[in-house]
Amino acid sequence: MHQLLGDFIHALRQADIPISTAETLDAIRTAQLLGLEQRPQLKLALGLVLAKSEAHKHSYDIVFEHFFSAQTAMSHDTAVEADNSDSTVSVVEAGEAETVDESSVEAQALAEQLQSPLALQLMAGEGSQMASAIAEAGQSENVNQIQFFTQKGRYRYRIMQQLGVEALNQELLQLETQQSLPARQVLQQLEQRKLRLSEQVGDYVEQQYLLYAEQKNQRQFDQNLSQIKLSHIDTHHYQRMSRLVRKAAKQLASQHGRRRKQSKRGMLDVRKTIAANAAFDGIQFRTRWRATRIERPKVMAICDVSGSVSRMARFLLLFLYCLQDVLPKVRSFVFASNMGEVTQSFAKQDLEDALAEIMNEWANQPTDYGRALVDFSGLALDQIDRHTTVIMLGDARNNNAPAEAQVWEQVYRRSKRVLWLNPESRNSWNTGDSVMASYAPYCSQVEVCQSLRDLQRILGGLLKLN
Amino acid sequence: MIIQHAEKIASPETVQQGFETLNYICSDAIATAVYLACQLQKPILVEGPPGVGKTELAKKTAEYLSAPLIRMQCYEGLDEAKALYEWKYGKQLLYTQVLKDQLGDVLRGAKGLDESVARLHQFGDIFYSHEFLESRPLLEALQAEQGAILLVDEIDKADQEFEAFLLELLSDYQVSIPEIGTVKAVSKPIVFLTSNNTRELGDALKRRCLHLYIPFPEPALERRIISSQVPDIESDLRNQLVAFVEQLREMALKKVPAVSETIDWARALLLLNIEHLDKGWVEKTLNLLLKFQEDIELVTPELGKLLNAAHKAASRP
Repeated sequence: MHQLLGDFIHALRQADIPISTAETLDAIRTAQLLGLEQRPQLKLALGLVLAKSEAHKHSYDIVFEHFFSAQTAMSHDTAVEADNSDSTVSVVEAGEAETVDESSVEAQALAEQLQSPLALQLMAGEGSQMASAIAEAGQSENVNQIQFFTQKGRYRYRIMQQLGVEALNQELLQLETQQSLPARQVLQQLEQRKLRLSEQVGDYVEQQYLLYAEQKNQRQFDQNLSQIKLSHIDTHHYQRMSRLVRKAAKQLASQHGRRRKQSKRGMLDVRKTIAANAAFDGIQFRTRWRATRIERPKVMAICDVSGSVSRMARFLLLFLYCLQDVLPKVRSFVFASNMGEVTQSFAKQDLEDALAEIMNEWANQPTDYGRALVDFSGLALDQIDRHTTVIMLGDARNNNAPAEAQVWEQVYRRSKRVLWLNPESRNSWNTGDSVMASYAPYCSQVEVCQSLRDLQRILGGLLKLN
Repeated sequence: MIIQHAEKIASPETVQQGFETLNYICSDAIATAVYLACQLQKPILVEGPPGVGKTELAKKTAEYLSAPLIRMQCYEGLDEAKALYEWKYGKQLLYTQVLKDQLGDVLRGAKGLDESVARLHQFGDIFYSHEFLESRPLLEALQAEQGAILLVDEIDKADQEFEAFLLELLSDYQVSIPEIGTVKAVSKPIVFLTSNNTRELGDALKRRCLHLYIPFPEPALERRIISSQVPDIESDLRNQLVAFVEQLREMALKKVPAVSETIDWARALLLLNIEHLDKGWVEKTLNLLLKFQEDIELVTPELGKLLNAAHKAASRP
């Protein structure tokens, strides 16, 4: 039982469910209490002990079905096959009994003389024994350490070796040299069973791969995806990417969602203490402490959706959309040549609709930063104060139109901080029609933002700063 | 805890049946959770949307095991003084005043400050002893002779610091009081923690608990719940209203109706002597199910369609 649960927990961990040693012990005690026989009850009970959130419960259900159905299927399959093969053998024997009675008897005798242990096992046709032999061989080859699908063949080969296929092959060769009818009968049977064995081993490895490695590969893939340049992501990875962006935004939300409260630690705030105790004749009853209070910033985010950044715009908008969930006071603007506020359409519509509408309405125009900035100052300049952080997502490629940097300067002077996230790498700034240099002096921070990871890092920093 | 009726928690099925006799209809998952919590002596963290009977579960468990229920409602700013213990300052002050003369006697004849203090020390920490300790829910639960059910309600509303403070209690069933020392549970209580998921709870807390998620019940289960809570209701009407609520839960509402709201609605319909769900009455009583004006405005135009579907679903066996 320990082995079984250990394997199961290993599989769960591979599926991204964090399970501690203490929880493993709980699982063992639970299984001891309830027994392993009643599958539905066991599933419920282990779920209570091992999966500690809704998302984990979901993956737990999948892994449980996978793991235990595979377990039962293995022993069941082989048992059925063993039955079948026995019956076919007996049919063959019965059919041929009249004509070649002698040869079958001889064949049996020959079969009993087989040398290699694997051949004997195969001829004995004990399905469950075979299955456990495969599982044992798999364990000694550490098949649960499998990492990539390319390793499947290797593991199959090594398990077959472990089972003693070498000796079996020798035996088969020997049998081939013999020309007699019984020898050919035995040869045929053996070859058929060997094929079935290799199928079984293949299934076993496949199942182990699904349990232990598939999730790992997916995770690897996700990790790569979050590091890759946003402009280089294939269209068919959009879905996956949206999921990652949401995850990243949610992570930021849970990290920074709570405002830190004033607490009784740190330095005594003398001024406040005296003020608070004025009513008590100056006797210091109530103490007041200095505490840093981290407020969530008021953010205005501006996103370029013009042709030059069209591949990125989708993700930037996606992040902007999620950002509105994280921060309570986000105003979102988009522009190509004219600028418009999209806070409301983000708030009211769901993601896909909002994105489609925005791309339709705003994107199909040539870029004009100057005009957009003038629009922005009309829309929001008077609401920018010393608590506001302005984030610009854009490549500053202006089609040689006037840059209107003085507007940006006004924004910079009024706001607390201006952050420019440029999706191009530093080397291509100020080349061609890029006018990054005219805006850069009026930014508190200019960053290259090419991948999801960059975005996460920069915004995480933004939320942490006071 | 010392469970007086060990046969009551012999198996998940017994628990389930026992709860049924107390009019609490529960799924297999819930029964298994209670069973495991009793057997493994572990706290249960119950999560789920509001109104699916999380708090009720703790109450029924207390009733079922005939143990006292000690409830602690969490809120932002909850601290040790309110959750665990507090010194009875008033009593301490009063006693020092009353005992002033005695203290004078004790100290009479002592030479110098050192000797006075040394004499005072002979009497130990009289004013910081159990007599002056005002126990709050957590301490009370630990000190209950026969064990108790401790319900820590809406733990997600409390601060993270408080959550961390609970860890010692949940894993070792003991708390540390600086002036007295460690207080160990006389008999381990069964702890229920409930959460509405307004914030993600820490992994350390989750690790120490069994995690039970109670979703909205399946229609069949909900029908049984309604029958047990509102026994006088006609089965036709019951099926219709369960099907109707089921559909509401699929809509994008600000707050979807929970089981408790379905029960309220069923009671209201029974009170109004309605035998058949019709548009007029549903419109008039919709505010029992939906708690936001926007939701009501969203649902009202759809009522005809929803009711038709509900009638159809209810007529199916």
